[in-house]
Order: sequence, then structure tokens, then C-alpha cells
Amino acid sequence: MAGSATKTVHDIFQSMEYGPATTSTFATAQAWLDHHSRSLGLFIDGMFVRPADRQSCSVTDSTGGAVCSTVCAVGDDVSQCASSAANGYKAWSSLTCQQRAKVLLRLVSLLGQHGQCVSQLCELCGAPCSLSTLVRLLQYYGSWAQLRDTLISGWAPLGVVAVVVSDDCSLYSLLLKVLPALAMGNSVIVVPGRTKAPPALLLAQLFVAAGLPAGALNVLTGGDMSLGAEVAQSPNISYITYSGNKQDAVRLCEATAGMGVPVSVSICIGPTCPFIIFESADIDSAVDGVIEAAFKKIREVHWVLCVQESVLESVEARLRLRMAGMKCLALRSDEDRTLVDAAVQEAQQQGAMLIQPCTAPPSGAQYPPTVLCRAAPSSLFVVSPSPGPLLPFMTFRTNTEAVAIGNHSPHGLAASIWTEDLTLALETAKSLSVGSVWVNSHSMSDPCMPVCGHKDSGTCTDGGQEGLYQFLCSPGSSFPTLPRSWVVDALLALTHNYVCTTDLPISVSGCSLAVQSPGCGDVLAYCPDGGRKDVRNAVEAAVKVQPGWMKKSASARAQSLYLLVKCLEAKRQDLAASISAQAGVSLDKAEKETDFSISRLNDWAANCDKIKGGNLPVPHSGLALSLPEALGVVGVVLPDKNPLLSMVTLLGAALTTGNAVVMVPSQKYPLPALTFIQVLQSSDLPAGLVNILTGRRDQLTVALANHSVIKAIWYWGSAEGCQYLQHTCTNPLKTLYLSSQKDEEETDEGRDWTRSSLLEEMWRNAVQWKNVWIPTA
Amino acid sequence: FFYFSMSRVLDLEWISKVRVNTHSVLMRAQHIQGQKIPNKQWQAAWLLKAVTCIDLTTLNGDDTPSNVHRLCLKAIQPVQHDLLRKMNMHNKGVTTAAVCVYPSRVADAVMSLKAANSSLPVASVATGFPAGQTPLETRLKEVCMAVADGATEIDIVINRTLALQGQWEAMYDEICQFRRACGDAFMKTILAVGELGTFTNVYKASLVAMMAGSDFIKTSTGKEAVNATYPIAIVMVRAIRDYYLRTGFKVGFKPAGGIRTAQESLLWLTLIKEELGNDWLCPHLFRLGASSLLADIERQIYHHITGKYAAYHELPMA
Repeated sequence: MAGSATKTVHDIFQSMEYGPATTSTFATAQAWLDHHSRSLGLFIDGMFVRPADRQSCSVTDSTGGAVCSTVCAVGDDVSQCASSAANGYKAWSSLTCQQRAKVLLRLVSLLGQHGQCVSQLCELCGAPCSLSTLVRLLQYYGSWAQLRDTLISGWAPLGVVAVVVSDDCSLYSLLLKVLPALAMGNSVIVVPGRTKAPPALLLAQLFVAAGLPAGALNVLTGGDMSLGAEVAQSPNISYITYSGNKQDAVRLCEATAGMGVPVSVSICIGPTCPFIIFESADIDSAVDGVIEAAFKKIREVHWVLCVQESVLESVEARLRLRMAGMKCLALRSDEDRTLVDAAVQEAQQQGAMLIQPCTAPPSGAQYPPTVLCRAAPSSLFVVSPSPGPLLPFMTFRTNTEAVAIGNHSPHGLAASIWTEDLTLALETAKSLSVGSVWVNSHSMSDPCMPVCGHKDSGTCTDGGQEGLYQFLCSPGSSFPTLPRSWVVDALLALTHNYVCTTDLPISVSGCSLAVQSPGCGDVLAYCPDGGRKDVRNAVEAAVKVQPGWMKKSASARAQSLYLLVKCLEAKRQDLAASISAQAGVSLDKAEKETDFSISRLNDWAANCDKIKGGNLPVPHSGLALSLPEALGVVGVVLPDKNPLLSMVTLLGAALTTGNAVVMVPSQKYPLPALTFIQVLQSSDLPAGLVNILTGRRDQLTVALANHSVIKAIWYWGSAEGCQYLQHTCTNPLKTLYLSSQKDEEETDEGRDWTRSSLLEEMWRNAVQWKNVWIPTA
Repeated sequence: FFYFSMSRVLDLEWISKVRVNTHSVLMRAQHIQGQKIPNKQWQAAWLLKAVTCIDLTTLNGDDTPSNVHRLCLKAIQPVQHDLLRKMNMHNKGVTTAAVCVYPSRVADAVMSLKAANSSLPVASVATGFPAGQTPLETRLKEVCMAVADGATEIDIVINRTLALQGQWEAMYDEICQFRRACGDAFMKTILAVGELGTFTNVYKASLVAMMAGSDFIKTSTGKEAVNATYPIAIVMVRAIRDYYLRTGFKVGFKPAGGIRTAQESLLWLTLIKEELGNDWLCPHLFRLGASSLLADIERQIYHHITGKYAAYHELPMA
């Protein structure tokens, strides 16, 4: 503002304008950067490392000015970092819970001293993060570090965890992964996005100053996602978890498939979220809310405004009025501007009306906040939203239609609903298949709430106690279960297999496989050879009954499962005989397995009403509910070992939590599963809830992987199968639980299906969490 | 204002549909309170704007012609002349918006202002201020007498009994009668929000008051436990906005009670600018009911000009 200094009191008295915005200073952050000569190294083993001859990449601020440069790590750095992290893990995990908690809490007081530097650096790098949020995160996870052995006894840290985030991911989302991993005793390798690297490096430095052992937190910086995959290759890594946008998530999943490391992703950047205004809403507040949410400086999700037809005009009028004084918002680049222009033009051609405070400037990386009225779910700008401050605006007629529109999307991150009618709010919150529902509010978050993107928005839970389990392995289990072999052409092999079988008649048309007894080649039976179409039919059937099963009360589900136990008991002899004949074990041993299966199913039935959410103590007033929900249809490829017990364990986990299953019994030992079909038939479980498809494992795995309705696959099989699933199940994302079993030596090795800690591990895998925020005064 | 009131009707369906979410309103208020306050010449200009929106008020049992006279002269010259001159605002007619007194003091105020050759309006509270618990007949009479004595603005209080019982139609009728009694005088309707219980009631009462022809709606008498708070103001200005969107009438807003510091007056202006826009930032549509606020504003202006903090006795008293 050139003439601002000469503005007289009288001018301002007339115009009543605001004074010039105070420009923030970054003196403290600049001093820190200067101290590091404006070129930051990698943070390995508790110190900055600047290896020679590395490419550097520059970090710029919002105006394009250079902030500093960072090092692009290469293979040597990654292996140095991984071995440092392995040592860091030894030091960190050998501390007591209290000692770990102390380090996290000491960082809180360090933030008191260096908070200014941290917040300035975050702002300078375009990732503003309030100090109070950081403190809350540290205090929350400090308390979990303290209580790990008390409240989650028996569970142990995984080892070295890699946290990878995309460039556009916020510092909050990054720390929502790093801090729980540390709090549980893991060591962490952070691979931050390019622009978030400086704050991440500063925090790592502060962590070491707070007493974190060297190597427990390393930061590797680099150019793009390929660094994440490179980190995964290192044999020391136990687990990779990712936060950010979908494209980079897919890239990471594909690049790390078959490396033997479990990968889970949270898509917190870019999903489309409905903003639903019912006629019973406080319209003024709702309109203020949507403007705040959709036209923020940093927009992480794409909102779509859905308004009940009866209040359409009133919302539209208020939007016009409230947006009148708004200024243009900055875009990331000139390319984004081209995309925005194209999207708006396209929308106008389809008859969309614009609400804008001013017309767009002819060029430049900025655009006025724009509401695109008369949008429809099929509009291009709704289906594939462009960057920039664009808000599609559509209408619905009834409450049911609002839910239908809200759910008709591949994304499932969050929704904001506005109504003063509590019943309507809770019913809608229940019906929306999203991870977070904000009632009469939006974008609220707190580390104590488990956040879990549904559908294509993620495969893991972050935050809350539930979010800790991704960094822990259950008592008695050995992690990782995936082999560290990298089968280059496994993918090809499996796909090849698939292509072949499509030429053969499939079981829909009656093809069958011979089932042989072990040792000798006697044919015990012929079972149908299921294929793609059988999976399709099974999923169709499952989708029909699953919602009803989930809606049943927990106690009704328990009764159904108890009845299933009774039916199982009735068939006890037959099942034992089939196990014995099939697996070649003594009848005595087979009976033992059957009895154990009966008691396992009893356990599950008893567990039905014990798996519950609740109201969590968020630091806001009102209610913040965390509710477990079924995943939907789960595909299970069963192991060879303990054919009946493993099946009942996994089936029970899925059914207890309200899921439907499509199960593929062991290709080698399908007989117990076939016998179990009779048990199912005599039970009162709705037909279609449990589907058992025998046939070739690989062929059926491919079919399961390529059915979008299936939200999760639990797989026991070949390393190739694991790689195939990791590579394929990215669009839409499926939650994978993979174990590779070695065909030869399945007797003594592998999972112990009798241990009771399996129950908790499996039900946690069978649910997704939904949080419902109902803030009140 | 007569034709205004003629075209305003009671719309009970509109009133029945009112919904206010308390939490969102509180959040919005918090957001506005977190806004940066203008400084330097912007602050000075905004403070002067606040001065021109003040209804300089004395509503005490011990009011006599002499303190009313002092108040009137302060209202004409609210900021010391040399301070205004330094900002080149001495000839821009900076006075408070009005003086506000009890009906019995209207005649004194009118006389003082007339003697000082000022056309500053005299506002009078009426209708059984502050409780409104007197018979309708005497309340109407009070309005008529204040108008007859020369008050050109009347601050009426609503009947909280009717509002709390949801008898909106009866309340509307009463206010309409006051409106007629006011004649050409400006009518400001005091909702006494501290006694209305909920935000929804505040919103509804605001709408009824506007439908019945109020030129202003005012938060409180200054005698209730809860006075002008930002969340309540947001509810009321939203009602004003709603009314403007539906009917095209711009109704003014007057927060009163407990507004004492220059800082607060700036926040009030910010709130109005944010919620209603610049149109409302004039004495015609925005008033601040206050008695001690002016002294603090004057000190702030003194500081802006001189860089020193004044003692209260350095600036002329009201």
C-alpha cells in the first residue's frame, strides 16, 4: 500500500478502512537459518550431516524467495541413516516409559524457549502451525509414553518406523505419526516434503536437545517420493506410514510393494468432503462456516456445499453478502491459475452461476473466492476438483438424499453437517461413510480422537489410543510377518496366472479342483474352482446383507454367533474328521483344534458388545464421540495352518464387528471349510454374510484385489501374492493385512493361532473409527 | 419514518423458523475478538468514528439540570479542540451522536443544547425504563411526554414478560403502539438481552422489534446483569442482516451497558464492519450507549497526538 503513510485521519474517518496488514517478521527463524549457513543438512544420529557431492534442493517461501537449501539424500545416506536408526531404536526402546515420557515433556518446555523460532520457521515455509497445537500433541503423546506398559501391556514397539509425508501435508499430520511412533518406543526416520523439511529438521534438533537418544529421530530430505521407497528397501525398517495426497500415496505403495514392509497411508490432502446444510440449520452460522472452511489460505480438502432446497435462496443470498468484501486468494503457481480458469469456464458452459466478490484478475497466481452454483454430482469440477478457491454448490430435497449425495463419492475423510435437530444430526452422522463428522462445525481436530479415513481416504488410524496400535505389535506375535525378499517378477507371474485362468471354464460354469490328502496323492474330494465371477456374486450377496448385520444391536450379533457356536458343536465330529483327513494329523489333534475353534468363537460372541467407542475428553466443550464401525466386506485368504481354527478366528473377527466376509479357504486344505458350510447353513446368519469360495488361491486373490467394494484383504499366501496385493490395492485403497507363509514348513513356524492376544489384534483390524464432533457452548 | 413502519408487518412463520447455534456464535465472537485492532492514524480515525456514534448517557437517580448541562456541552465538544486540530478534524463536526437522559431531564437537555446553538438530538429512555413493568397506558404516556418535551429519539424497553412467554404478537402490538406514540422521533428498542434467556429468543425479539418499526435495536438498559456482549451482538446484527435481506430496510444497532474502554469501542466497530459492512458504520445506523467510554477514547487520542498518557484530570470532564 504505497499511499498508506499519507492517509489522513479524515480520509480514514470517511472510508473506515482497516490499516495496512502488519508484516510478520521472521528474525529468529532467519537467525537459525543463518547459523546453518542457509543450507540444511540431513539429520542423522543426532546431528546435522552434510555429505559432499549431493544435489541440493531449494526451499522457497510463498513469494518465491529463497529460504534455504536442503540436501537430496542418496543411497549411502539412507543406509547410514537406517543403521543409525537401528541403534537409536536400541537406546530409545531400552529406556523406561517414564524416561521416554520425560523427553517428550521436556520438549514442551524447550518449545517455550524456542517457540518463536519454530512458529516463524513454519510460517516462513508456508506451513503455519500454532504452538499450542504442538504443545497439545506433545503433552498428549507424552502421557501415552508414560502409560504404554500400564494401559497397553504386552504390546511392543515395532522397531524402526519410516514416516513419509507428501509436500503439501501439514506439520500437524506429520507429527500425528511421528510422536505416537516415538511415544511407543520406536525410532523414526522422517522423510518430510520439500517445504516442510526446515521445521522438521529444527524439531529433530530440539528433540535431541530434549534428551532423545541419537538416532531415535532422523530426518532425510530429498527431492520427491522416491526417497520414501529407497528408505523402505533398507532391511532395518519395520513399517512405513504415510500422510498426504493420494497420488504420492499410490506412488509410494507401488514403489514399496514386495519389499516386505507393511505400508499404511492416510490421505489427508485432497479428498472431497461434503458440507451439508439442512433447513433446520442456523443458516448464518453455517454460511460463515462454509466460507471459513472453503476459502482458507491453505486448503487441504475440497469442500462441496450441499444445501436443502427449501433454504437454497436464503443460503445463496447470505453467501453473496458475506463474500462481498473478500479478497483474492493466492494460488500455488501460474499453472494452477490455468487449471482454475479452465474449471470455471467449463462450469459456466454447463450453466453454473458464479458468486464472486470481484471478477478474477486477468492473470497471475491468485483467484477470488468463487462459489459455483447449480453444480451437480456429475459436474466435472465436482468429480475432479481443480486447485484454487472454488466451491461447488448443489441442492438436495430430503435428509436421505443428503446422505446419498454425501456418500456417493470415492472419498471418506470427513463431512460437516449443519442442523439444530439433534436426532437428524446423529442419524446423518451415523449414515455418512466418512471418518470425521463435524456437527455444526468443521475442521476440528485433536490428537485424542482416532482419525481414520474411510473408503479411498486411508488405510490406518491416526490419533487416540487406536492410532497407537499401528506402531505396536501384539503380544506373542513376531513382526514383520512379511519376508524380506524382493521378487522382481512376482507380479508378472501372478497376473499371468490370472490371464490363463480366464480362458478356462470357471466354477460358475462348474469347473472343479481335486483335493488331495497330504503325503499320498489320493483324491479326497473335488471342490469347485471359484473365479472372478464367483467373487463378484459373493460380493453382491455380501453387500446386500452387510448393512443390516452392522445395524443389528451388538447383543443380537452376539446371539447369532452363540447360535453358530451351537451349530459348530453339533458338527464337531465331522469337522474333526475333515481336519484329520485333510491335514493328516491325528484325530486327537484334530479334535483339539475343533474344541479350540469352538471356544474361540465363544470368545468372539462374548466380545460383540465389548468393542465400543465413547465420548473422548477433547479440550473443547461438547461431545466428541469415537465410534467403531465395520469396514464393510472383507476378503480373507486363509492360511494352510490350523485350517479350522484360523478360519473361525478371522471369521469371528469380521462378524463380531459387523462385517461381511468373502473367504478363500486354503487351497491345500479346503475340506474343513467345506464342512463348515453346513454349520453356516444351520445357523441363523443371513445368507450372503459369509461366503466361502474354494479354488486356486492366486486366481481368487486377483479377483478379490480387483473388486472395489472389498475394503480390506487379510491374506496368507505367497510372497508374490503379498507384492501383488500391495501393488494393486491402491485404487481404491484397501486395508491390507498380509502374511507370507512358507509352504514347506508350516507346522512349527508362523503364527500361533491359539494365543488369545490375536483377538484384540484382529478386531482392531476389522473396524474403522468414525468420530463425531458435537461442540456445544 | 412513517411509511417505513406502515410497510412492516408481523411474520410469525419467519419467527418460528429462527434457529441459533450457540457454539458457532461464540466461535464467531471469539474470531472477531481476535481480529487485529487498527493502530496509528487508523486507530485515531476509528476512535473519532466511535465518538460520533456515542449516545452520551446519564441515567441516574441523582441527575439534575447541572450535570445534564455538563453532559450536553461535553457532547458538543467531545474531544479537546486542540487535539482535533492536530488531526485536522476540528472543522469536521465531531460531536457525539446524541445525549441520552431520563424523560424528566429531557427539557433540561433540550434547553442546554439550544442555548449552545447545537442541533444535537436528545434521546430519552421511556416506557418504564429499565424494567418495563408498568401499565401500558403510562408507558405510552411517557413516550408522548418525552416527545412533547423535545426528545427526537426514544429508547423504549420491550415487555420481557411477553417475550419470555413467546407472545410475539402481543409484543409486536405494544411496540407498534410505541412507534405511533413516537411520531417522527427515532425509536430504539431495548431488548434487555440479559433477561431473554437464549440466543434464539434474542434473535426472535430482534425480528419482532424490527417488524414493529424500530429504527434501532439496542442490547440492554445497562441495568441488567448481562449487558452488551459480543456473542449477543452477533445474534442481533445477524437478525438485522436477515431483515435487510428480506425487506430491504436497514435497521440500526446500539450496544449499551458496560462499554468503557477505547479498545472495546474499536472491537465494536470491527464487529459491525465484519458483520454488516461499512454502510452501518455511521451514527444513523450504529450507536454506542455509554457514559464513561468517552473519557477513555479521549485519552487514547491524546496519546496518539502527544505520545503521552494523560491523567483523567488533564482532559475536560463530562
